[in-house]
Amino acid sequence: MNDRIVYAKIIFAIALCASTTVAVMHGFLSVVDAKSGGVFSRTTLARDALTQIINEPNDLVIFYGSSMTRAGFSPRKFDKDLKEKGKNIKSFNFGFGGLNPYFQDFLSRRIKDEFQQQDRKLKLAMIEFNPFQTTKTRWNRAVPVVDSFLSMLANDSELLEIAKQDITRGILLFNIKYLRDNLSSEIITSSVGREIFPPYQWEQFKDSEETKNARREISNKVNKLFEEDYPDLNYQDWMYTWQGAGTIPEERSEKTLKAFDVYYPLIQTDAQMKNDRLSRIRSADIEELHFEPLLVESFIQTVKNFQQFSNHVEVIMLPRNTKWISNTPEGKKRLVAAIQQIEKATGVKIRDHQNLDIINPSMFRDTTHLARYRGDVIYTDFLVEQYQDSL
Amino acid sequence: MIFNTPIFFSFFLVFMIFYGLIFVKQKSKVYLIIVASLVFYGAWNYAFIPLLVGSAVADYFIAQAIGNSDNQQHKKRWVTLSLIINLGILALFKYADFVLVSVADILQIFGYQASFDTLGWVLPVGISFYTFQSLSYTIDVYRGEMKPRKGLVEFVAALSFFPQLVAGPILRAKQILPQMHAISLPKWDAVKHGFLLITVGLLKKTGADLLAIPAQKAFEAHENLSTLEVWTGVLAFAGQIYGDFSGYTDMAIGIALLLGFRIPLNFRVPYFAVSPVDFWKRWHISLSGWLKDYLYISLGGNRDGHRTRNVFITMLLGGLWHGAAWTFVAWGAFHGLIITLTHYLSGVKFFAAFNRDNHFLVTFVKWLLTFYLILIGWVFFRATDMESAISILQTMHQFGSETELGANAMTIFIMTSVWVLLVHIMDFYVIKGADKLERKPWLFWFLILLVQSLCMLVGEPSNEFIYFQF
Repeated sequence: MNDRIVYAKIIFAIALCASTTVAVMHGFLSVVDAKSGGVFSRTTLARDALTQIINEPNDLVIFYGSSMTRAGFSPRKFDKDLKEKGKNIKSFNFGFGGLNPYFQDFLSRRIKDEFQQQDRKLKLAMIEFNPFQTTKTRWNRAVPVVDSFLSMLANDSELLEIAKQDITRGILLFNIKYLRDNLSSEIITSSVGREIFPPYQWEQFKDSEETKNARREISNKVNKLFEEDYPDLNYQDWMYTWQGAGTIPEERSEKTLKAFDVYYPLIQTDAQMKNDRLSRIRSADIEELHFEPLLVESFIQTVKNFQQFSNHVEVIMLPRNTKWISNTPEGKKRLVAAIQQIEKATGVKIRDHQNLDIINPSMFRDTTHLARYRGDVIYTDFLVEQYQDSL
Repeated sequence: MIFNTPIFFSFFLVFMIFYGLIFVKQKSKVYLIIVASLVFYGAWNYAFIPLLVGSAVADYFIAQAIGNSDNQQHKKRWVTLSLIINLGILALFKYADFVLVSVADILQIFGYQASFDTLGWVLPVGISFYTFQSLSYTIDVYRGEMKPRKGLVEFVAALSFFPQLVAGPILRAKQILPQMHAISLPKWDAVKHGFLLITVGLLKKTGADLLAIPAQKAFEAHENLSTLEVWTGVLAFAGQIYGDFSGYTDMAIGIALLLGFRIPLNFRVPYFAVSPVDFWKRWHISLSGWLKDYLYISLGGNRDGHRTRNVFITMLLGGLWHGAAWTFVAWGAFHGLIITLTHYLSGVKFFAAFNRDNHFLVTFVKWLLTFYLILIGWVFFRATDMESAISILQTMHQFGSETELGANAMTIFIMTSVWVLLVHIMDFYVIKGADKLERKPWLFWFLILLVQSLCMLVGEPSNEFIYFQF
């Protein structure tokens, strides 16, 4: 009996350590407000809005993709223009910065689950194929967040499948999901690391101090005007009212729109654009495009997921800032091969909107993203023209 | 299955319930240890379980045969068979490809074109540890230092004992077999010390994973880094490998204490060493002890004026034990060289006096010089090839480098240095004065829970322990 008491004390101590660890960890996370919603809020908010989206009476359209979709498509303008043409559509912007095709695959499964459970179909799914989100470089940079995203986006049976193949990893993912509020230690380490060592800003090309000051001043002014116009609009989050994007020019004051006329030239100086281009090359291999097979496969799976609950699926490549970004000959070859692979696997022809005549470099805010109230408006108009007949 | 992961925690909790509450008899505890150890080992690769068990069974019967024989020639044949089996397994799995590639390279130097098909076999986790452990048993019996013990089950349990199975410490049969024969009830003081060691190990492993980032940067992209950044990377690797390996063994010793087993220390604040010889008395003590007793002594030790040769061979093979690559050979050779040099200088009057001088400043200079040499050694150990090692060493000694310092370079250097120092101070305290803390239960448990929580929060359990690969 004595023996058992000693061992019972040991087991109690182990259990105490474990439970206290979990409690302290949660306490810490809430004190520093590092909840998973904060880190991945846009994605989780969009996912959580699915029930409300499905209950919309109008036909539904989802634009799905990266931050380029987020910046380049205005759902409110899309719906407004279509309404004028007699079509009642409710569209949503599901563009997410940093959500590469691997994660997009899992999110699309959750969207599919919701639609199929409610026996609802999308009228049109417009899926962006973003070549530089599909590179090896992009994947390598995403590795630290894989566990958190997986635990957040995968359901229990998918995690169980992972556990069957690799029990250690499976249990780790369940642990992150249920005991760590979806926050892997890698996420916490890198968040803390960023606080101690702010990310290095590549500034190989420098603007004059005068330009920098003017940019700072107008940025502050624009931010202030945004707050004054719509104090409840948080552009970082996915907000249902704004259908996952932001306002349209008609909703803004003359003063705000004029401020943008000053703002854009100052963020598009030669030095800014050259630095941005370099950072895209370093962080996404944007010109050489060495594709990561896993990401290409995941993209194919994403399209297939949408095909299961959509009347019509389109895959598009968004406009490219041709003044700053051009693929090398080898990069072009690789891109063609990837496109062929996707088209063959999904049966969907990819619509290449990279070099549209209606889009020029001044309509971008940087080397990749269309500018708000400029490029997004023009591109959304183009999409309305292109797809109104199929809606 | 790594100690600092949720899966090990679940495994261990279930194991403890059976071990402590359900199976109370000695014999059933031993069987349970075997089952748990094989599950633990099989979590990496079940295919290698027969190798582990086969190795144990073979050495058990060889030791019996040696013990039962009165004929010295027969004994010698049996121990040779044990050597062939254990070193053969090691050679086949670990060194065959290295030898084939090296032979082809050497032939190429002499103008012959040769290429061999390599085996490409997966290296069984912990193979270097358990083969050495098993071998020590047959050699000890052959030398008459211990009698063969009856009980195959106990021997298999001892060899596969999961806390130290995959990354040591390398236990001698005489250390573990008597404990396996009569498993003692853990004393509460020992249990508390076990929890302390598990926590300290967890903290060291967590720190090691963070240090891996600057270390990796320095060793993989050193061409673009400044002298200070490369030094930071090398220092970070020194901290990483110490935190990783000693952290693992601390946890192993702590877990064993919870089961009622005592495993000797494997590290004794090694970076506080004041000479290369001193370093090897503090670093991976179980390996250096093994090499000394079974290799160095077998080669003749200090006798017949062959000390230099024997030290050099021992260190060279010690280096090779860590991995099948020329960088490990170079690391071993480098340590052989500096130990030999230390021995030589201790015979020179001036240096002998310097060596004996315990003045603070002199001790500091000795420490600084030793630590510098250890860091140089780690460059060979961590570099991917000899060319990179030499290039890194050149950058380290290129003062006035024109490469621009990266952001926060000095801060990272200072943080790395402080962490390495703090870990050593913590270890020093754990060795010398842990009982003082363990006598204050509230403070003790508060610190244990706080540190464990912190480690679980920022630890990166997806990183394996470096020494598993050896």
